[in-house]
Amino acid sequence: MNAQEEDRIKQLLKQTLPPVESNAEPERDLWPAVLRRLDGDVAQRKAVPWFDWALLGGLAVFAVSFPATIPVFLYYL
Amino acid sequence: MNNHTYLRAYLAGVFLPTLAFPALLTVLFLGQLTQPTPFPVERIVVFPLTFVPACWGLWNMLWVASRHRTHLPLGLHGAILFLLLLPAGATLAKALGVITLGPHSVTWFHAIEAPYAVIACGVAFALVLYYLAWKYIVGFVNRVLGVA
Repeated sequence: MNAQEEDRIKQLLKQTLPPVESNAEPERDLWPAVLRRLDGDVAQRKAVPWFDWALLGGLAVFAVSFPATIPVFLYYL
Repeated sequence: MNNHTYLRAYLAGVFLPTLAFPALLTVLFLGQLTQPTPFPVERIVVFPLTFVPACWGLWNMLWVASRHRTHLPLGLHGAILFLLLLPAGATLAKALGVITLGPHSVTWFHAIEAPYAVIACGVAFALVLYYLAWKYIVGFVNRVLGVA
């Protein structure tokens, strides 16, 4: 590649890629939004609906009422 | 981590049955020590040792493969598996002499006698157990292994 071709490539790249501003920054602070997103994900994972708690409670009551069925449950796990 | 997705899905599926099996063995051996009639442990463990873990792993692979088309929640997907394993396990247990069907009750492991009403409730609660186990435990392992 000679000097003329290099200049040509530089020129083409300058035309294609937009110039980057020296003080390019987002219009607003994005960090609070990142924190909200992270907190939301954690809260979503931790939240167990009341219906599942009710099912778990019913399961525990059944296991306590009929403990002999526990080996049968384990048989199917 | 996009490689070997189905292998990781299988491993996530077999996680819980692999943990539950030693618990079943412990209960059976304790029962052998305390009950007057011996348990046929070697016949009892055939189903939970061979069929159940493989089915859980394959069923999780199926969920990973089909979830974008079916949009079925993991808990419901797991509860359906119990409906397939229930007749399979009962048939195998009957064939191996693990259960005895009576006119009013079923005797499991030559020791546990349960009326059919309790069995019916047990089936409903086993569905609940499968739903919760798949939703929370298999779902958690899926997330840890990067499957879902």
